[in-house]
Formats: sequence, structure tokens, C-alpha cells
Amino acid sequence: MKNLLLIWFLITLMIVPTMVLSQEQAGPGKGTVHSLELPIMPIQLKQGPGYDKVSTLCNICHSTDYITMQPAFPRATWTAEVNKMIKVMGAPINEEDAETIIDYLAQNYGTGK
Amino acid sequence: MGDIRFTRRDFLRTAGAFTAMTAIGEIPGELLAALDERKLVRFPEKTDMILLTSRPPQLETPFHYFRELITPNEALFVRWHISQIPTSVDTNVWRLKIGGNTEKELQLSLDDLKTKFSPVTFTAVIQCSGNSRSLFDPRVAGGQWKNGAMGNVTWTGARLKDILGQARIKEGSAYVAFNGLDGPPLPSVPDFVKSLPLDKALEDDIIVAYAMNGEPLTMLNGFPARLIVPGWFATYWVKSLSDITVLNAQYEGFWMKTAYRIPDDPCACVPPGTAPKKTVPINRFDTRSFIVEPADGAALKRNKAVEVSGIAFSGGYGVRDVILSVDGGRTWNETKLGKDLGKYSWRQWTYTWHPKEAGRYTLLVRATDTIGESQPFEPLWNPAGFMRNNVEKIEVTVK
Repeated sequence: MKNLLLIWFLITLMIVPTMVLSQEQAGPGKGTVHSLELPIMPIQLKQGPGYDKVSTLCNICHSTDYITMQPAFPRATWTAEVNKMIKVMGAPINEEDAETIIDYLAQNYGTGK
Repeated sequence: MGDIRFTRRDFLRTAGAFTAMTAIGEIPGELLAALDERKLVRFPEKTDMILLTSRPPQLETPFHYFRELITPNEALFVRWHISQIPTSVDTNVWRLKIGGNTEKELQLSLDDLKTKFSPVTFTAVIQCSGNSRSLFDPRVAGGQWKNGAMGNVTWTGARLKDILGQARIKEGSAYVAFNGLDGPPLPSVPDFVKSLPLDKALEDDIIVAYAMNGEPLTMLNGFPARLIVPGWFATYWVKSLSDITVLNAQYEGFWMKTAYRIPDDPCACVPPGTAPKKTVPINRFDTRSFIVEPADGAALKRNKAVEVSGIAFSGGYGVRDVILSVDGGRTWNETKLGKDLGKYSWRQWTYTWHPKEAGRYTLLVRATDTIGESQPFEPLWNPAGFMRNNVEKIEVTVK
């Protein structure tokens, strides 16, 4: 374990300066690399049954403010949205998880209809 | 990073000052913007923008920026579709590849774009198809934009026609597809690729832009180069271009065949809550106009002249006139149009109003373009929340 840590530390020593260089110094002689770092913005979803599935599965492809920015929708709209994510947008979500996600959305971000 | 600059709570805290300013009728647009409860965030190379989503980023321009004829680069809206967006581009390595149904395959560097083609510069409104979607009734799913998914920018670039001319298009070609450096988070997610009919792609004013307002494009607005299709919705203005492919048939990908489609009807509308029988790819803007000042809800002073001002634009045909009503649409007044930066730019307009009586007033604005296209008085509806262009109104109080 100690050895592993030491190796990890040595690798870090080698990699970090290279990363810094690649950001700042760029190609052969000229400042030709344009880089930026995107901020990570944590989203607070409502707690409730299905929270874990939603936080994990929806987050694979997009931040969950895609959910929180929507107005309250009837269950039928949330069902259509989840199905669109799976059938059209290629989300790897099985039928059981899809049901859990729809229930969560209708319950926490729904109109109650 | 990503901090909230001005929250609802901050606003309530300043409510005392706000009331005082209301009394004298001078409320800065920034403060009224704080009535908008949405979060302001700061992304690299951008100013404080309204956060819709962070991954991929969708950022809306705060409305007070539309007091300006040209939208500053740092304030232009941001809209990406799939989450693997470019965050680092080495222009020594980046090449724009042109191929498909062409005699030659080209690999152009950024320098090639700047030096091997005559540069073209014009000002054009860029507007998201879903600008104002959150104002649809009944509400529809999608990016919940208010009116800030638009901007007016001076673009510089090389003509697409000239680039395709160098590659020499083969007989039988019918469409041109455009792909960018952004990629899907999983192989099962459709890549963002758009296409134009060949005759559209060969129009003079379609350019591959490498500069916005005289500066390199910001990364989030499509560094190092993006397509500009003036007069058409921004879905075609593919960012961080990497591939231009000439095809002999329509590109059948998700973002053309399923998404970004409107009812095949002159109004692009259906009865609210219903589905269209037939759809076509979204294309040209409809005519729009906005009152920028005073802001909605402003309190004005009786017998004091008010400079009512705003912007108007059309789908590539310039603005012929803008009329304003200060009495809820009963009577209309000609406004004075500002500097003309060409048919793709928006036009500023002003009207000096002398409110004599205290009370509540509804102000409406309506533009007509040079081919007679204007704005409906009532909103039209379609299931994707595209192309909103009804006459906008604001309410003000005169004391």
C-alpha cells in the first residue's frame, strides 16, 4: 500500500507540470492552445424515493438543472421526457429504473396530475 | 466559480432603495433584472449570465444588454446540446475538413481561413430557436429561456461558397452537413450535426466566422470558427466547426430528422396542446421587436418625458418600421429608427412619450420588415416552443 502511494505520488509529480505546461505554453513556440476549465455547479435535487437513481443516471449525460429549470409538468409530460431520453437520446436506463425516475419526477417536479 | 451574484434575498434587502428610486422613476435595468429569480453565474470568458444549465452550458443574456446595438462577446448567450464540449483547442492542430461529394478534400487551418479567402464582415442577429420558450402557454419542455437567447454581433469570416468552390462540388450534390468538436457523452447519444440544402449553403452571406466583434470567438461561442447563417435560427450556426461534408441526400441524423422541426404551416403553429400532422426543419426567423426601456413594471413620473426604446429585427430582410402603442393597442405611433447596420442586424428604435395622466399603462411594440412580414398580436403555439414572435407588451405605472 505504501509503495502504491509512493508510485502514485511520483506519477503525480511527473504529470502535473506537464499539464500546466500544456495549458499555458502551447504548440511549437506560439501561444496556439486556447483552453478553459468549466465550473462544476452542484444541483440540489429534492429528496425522495428515486433520488439516487435520478442523481446517478440523469447525470451521466447532463447536469440535473435540466430537471430543475422545467416548470411543473403533469406525469404524462415527464413520462414522455424520460422515454425520449431513453429511446431517442440513447440513455442507458432499463425499464424498472425508468419507472422509478418517472415516479420521482412526477412526485417532486409535477403538477400532481 | 459559479457563484450567485445577485439573489432574490439581495434584492429584498435593497427593496428600500428600490422603493425610493421607484418614487423618482429612475430604476436601473440591472436592478429590475434582479426581479428575475434565476441564478447569475460566471463561466470562463463570459460575464454574469443567467444559468439555465451547467453541463452542457446554457446561459442566457441578462435583458439590459439589449440597450446596446452590439451585444458584447462576454454577454452573448451560450447553448450547447451534448455534454462533451471543446474546452481546449490547439490551432496548430485544428483543421476544418471539407469533403464528401467533392473533387478534392481540404484541410484548412485557421490561418488558411483568414488568408486564402477574402474576409467578409457583417452584423447579424443570432437567435436560438427556443428563445422565449418559457413564455409559451401551455408550457412546453426544453430550455426555459426568457427573451435573452439572442444577440447582435459583427461577424468576420470566409464565405462557405468560396470554401466549397475550392473543394469543387460534384454533380448530384444536394445537401451540406456540418459537424463541430462537441461530442456525445456516450456512443448511443446522437452527435450534433446539422445540414443545409446545397442552394442555401451556396448563398453569398453564409460564412465560416473566426471573429466576433473583431475578436477571436469565445470558446463557449464556438472557438475557433463557427458557421453563420444570417436570418436563420442559430441551430444551424454550428460551433467549433470540424467537418463540412457535401452529401447527395438530406442528412438523416436526429438533430435534423426529429429535433428542431416546426409545423409545416405558414404560421408554424398548431392549436395549443395539439401535435402537428406534418413538420419541416426550422429555418428563417420571423419578425420580432422588444421594448428594452423602460423595463416592465417601471414606475414613471407624470409630465416628464420618457424615452421609450428597444430593438427590432427580421429573418434577413431588415426592418421597415416599428410602431408603438402606449394605450394598450388602441392607437399607434411611429418610432424613430436608429443606425442601419444592414438587413441582418437588429435596428434600435426610440419614441419620446409624455405621459400626462397618472395611472397604469400598457405599452406594445410591433415591427414590420421590408417584405411586409410583421408580428401577430396573440402568441402562436407549437409543441417544441419555437419561433415565438407575438407583439410584446409591458406594463408601467405613471405617478
